[in-house]
Amino acid sequence: MGVAGASAPGYGPLDGGWGWVVVFGAFISIGFSYAFPKALTIYFKEIQRHFSVSYSQIAWVSSIMLAVMYAGGPISSVLVNRYGSRPVVITGGVMCGVSMVAASFASNITHLYMCVGIIGGLGLSFNLQPSLTIIGKYFQVKRPIANGLAMAGSPVFLCTLAPLNQFLLDRFGWRGGFVILGAMLFNCCVAGALMRPLRGGAPAVPCKPPPTRARTQEAVCGDGVIERPRGRESLCRRSCAENMSCFLDLSLFHHRGFIIYLTGNMLMFFGFFAPMIFLAPYAKHRGLDEYSAASLLSALAIVDMVARPGTGLLANTKLVRRRIQYLFSFAVAYNGVCHLLCPLASGYWGLVAYALCYGVVYGMVCALLFECLMDLVGPCRFSSAVGLVTVLECCPVLVGPPIAGAMLDMFGDYSYMFYMCGAVMLTAGLFLFTMNYYNYQQLDQAKRSQDKGTELGERTGQHGGQHGSSQADDKIVEEQAPSLEQESGTFRVKAETEDNTMQQQQKTEFNPKD
Amino acid sequence: MEVNMRLMWGFIALLFCFHQAAASAVAKIQADPSSVINQTSALLSCNLTGVPPVKGSYWSRNGKLLEKSKSDAISDYTSYHIPKIDSHSAGLYTCVFMTNPEVEENIEVKMAPHVSAYKHSENSNENDKASLVCVSHSYPLPTDWKWYKLGDVKTAIVNGTKNYMIRSTDNSSTLYIENLDINADMGDYECAGENELGRHADKIHLRVRSRLAALWPFLGIVAEVIILVTIIFIYEKRRKPDEVNDGSAPLKSNAATNHKDKNVRQRNSN
Repeated sequence: MGVAGASAPGYGPLDGGWGWVVVFGAFISIGFSYAFPKALTIYFKEIQRHFSVSYSQIAWVSSIMLAVMYAGGPISSVLVNRYGSRPVVITGGVMCGVSMVAASFASNITHLYMCVGIIGGLGLSFNLQPSLTIIGKYFQVKRPIANGLAMAGSPVFLCTLAPLNQFLLDRFGWRGGFVILGAMLFNCCVAGALMRPLRGGAPAVPCKPPPTRARTQEAVCGDGVIERPRGRESLCRRSCAENMSCFLDLSLFHHRGFIIYLTGNMLMFFGFFAPMIFLAPYAKHRGLDEYSAASLLSALAIVDMVARPGTGLLANTKLVRRRIQYLFSFAVAYNGVCHLLCPLASGYWGLVAYALCYGVVYGMVCALLFECLMDLVGPCRFSSAVGLVTVLECCPVLVGPPIAGAMLDMFGDYSYMFYMCGAVMLTAGLFLFTMNYYNYQQLDQAKRSQDKGTELGERTGQHGGQHGSSQADDKIVEEQAPSLEQESGTFRVKAETEDNTMQQQQKTEFNPKD
Repeated sequence: MEVNMRLMWGFIALLFCFHQAAASAVAKIQADPSSVINQTSALLSCNLTGVPPVKGSYWSRNGKLLEKSKSDAISDYTSYHIPKIDSHSAGLYTCVFMTNPEVEENIEVKMAPHVSAYKHSENSNENDKASLVCVSHSYPLPTDWKWYKLGDVKTAIVNGTKNYMIRSTDNSSTLYIENLDINADMGDYECAGENELGRHADKIHLRVRSRLAALWPFLGIVAEVIILVTIIFIYEKRRKPDEVNDGSAPLKSNAATNHKDKNVRQRNSN
């Protein structure tokens, strides 16, 4: 599977051209994925009245949709690993559209749970993961900008969908509105069609096969060829774990950077969304009228819209790109500080200042969220990584706001909720900062010893111009994206490593500058 | 004997005096006017007789205390001025003197009803149910509610006929229309409330959305999606013969290091 990559040398991420069209497609997909469950709440009052259910019962629709969207991560990762981004996004778009049209005929609330919640949520997850994956395939040097632009889809779509949903509700009722939303979701198919696969259809070709090859005695997946058969195991009956590791790269759990990222993010998500949800009620509690409270959210969204591409540009600069994890940790920690200071804000302008700060840091975190993951694991394993990350993040994302709500009920004071969220995020930021510092140290050490090894090889292999070559070698290594350093770090960390030549060959395959 | 009789009569007279005194201690309020009917403004006043000590006084309307009318003045006279009598200020006024026990008197301020629609424009779907609501906050509350369908001819709606149902309470009336028909039921409706002093009416516009109204935008958007996807795929197919590897290009490495790159690669692959 991966060996084919070495047969087409000199080709790699485009970093421009059609890549920007792909970014636009990802913009649409990601926008729908994140904004749709939130914008759907506009219809809830009407549906609640129609079916005569309580507010918590109708709120389940959104919760189920979000839960399935996050939990469906591994499924879409597997599909992307197998078939590539384009078919999965198109399927996701069709699923979403059909689910909404089916939901418009719902005769009770359970139909809505099934159609909108489960099928719609699954469709959205088929939109989200592949969009993120394909950016990593198309971009290397300008990847932070591409990520920032694509993630900006979420606030843009939220700002557009919310008033649009209100208009559709008034004009067509909730059933008619659902039908039209279904049609709009079919546009995700257009986004998918734009995601032209690299090298005409073969997925993840420049990448090496999953590193579990070493552990599974070189059972090559997909071909069904087992080079060294394991005892009683036949061609057809491979263990569940092996099958899983074929499609989903579970060796990521041995990846130091991945574990750090996962732990930090899971901690962070406990306090990430709650302040956003409670901002408007808090503003009303402080005496602002409804329109002022709504204007706070609008200000937040507009700042968010600008902050995401802005952060992408910032992250792309040479200085930041090499140590992008620090920027991410800083953004998370700053988020925490912002929330801790929120109860001090007084009056309308104090809250506006808070909303603007919050918008900036929220945008920063969102823009860097997947860029950092890509930076840590590299584009080849990113699709598996993002699937694992989203399914594990599912829990804090869903549990966070209700816990914040429970704190609110318990103390009756919004300040405690903000303190909790701020403390959680500050801790997460500091944790990420220190652990990434340690990680970078380890990677630098690994790189230095690897360079020494290469230098030695050069000296023994060729005469003359050695010094120059090794210098150029160093320069090339410097110029490469940090992900390569991370990748080389991984090789050191893994318990089972292939022999040196295999490593070097894989390094070459991945080397984009050749 | 005569002395005893005189004592007894004196005693009885004394008792009678006490009784009279006690009787004249019963407080009485003279309210003026006794009721207000169909006036633009009024001055309500209460006069307390029977003189027990007065701690203060206040007014209330329909049982709710009027904050501005509260007075701590020790007086047996209190008044309340209503500059403009409208549906908000009409009601059952009560002047209360804070004696022990408290005494009060009612003055009714009546006027013709004011009826308003809860929502002036209602939207509903075909074959669905619609409910049109009218409310009234006047005094006295309407005793009679009537609904009409406006059109070329103003027709009265009778409860129970066709698909109509009228449910009225003291201060509101609701017209339910089942199984909406887009041709017959769309239009203007009038609700009228009547009490002893007059009647008032308000209009509601009912819009019935056709079941298929959403179908045309849906088909339009789906057509747009299909066209765009087709264009994208055709464009890609046509470009394919021109490019060996669509979507990727030879990387432009620095000319200076180009040679070195190749060297590096060769070394590494050994």
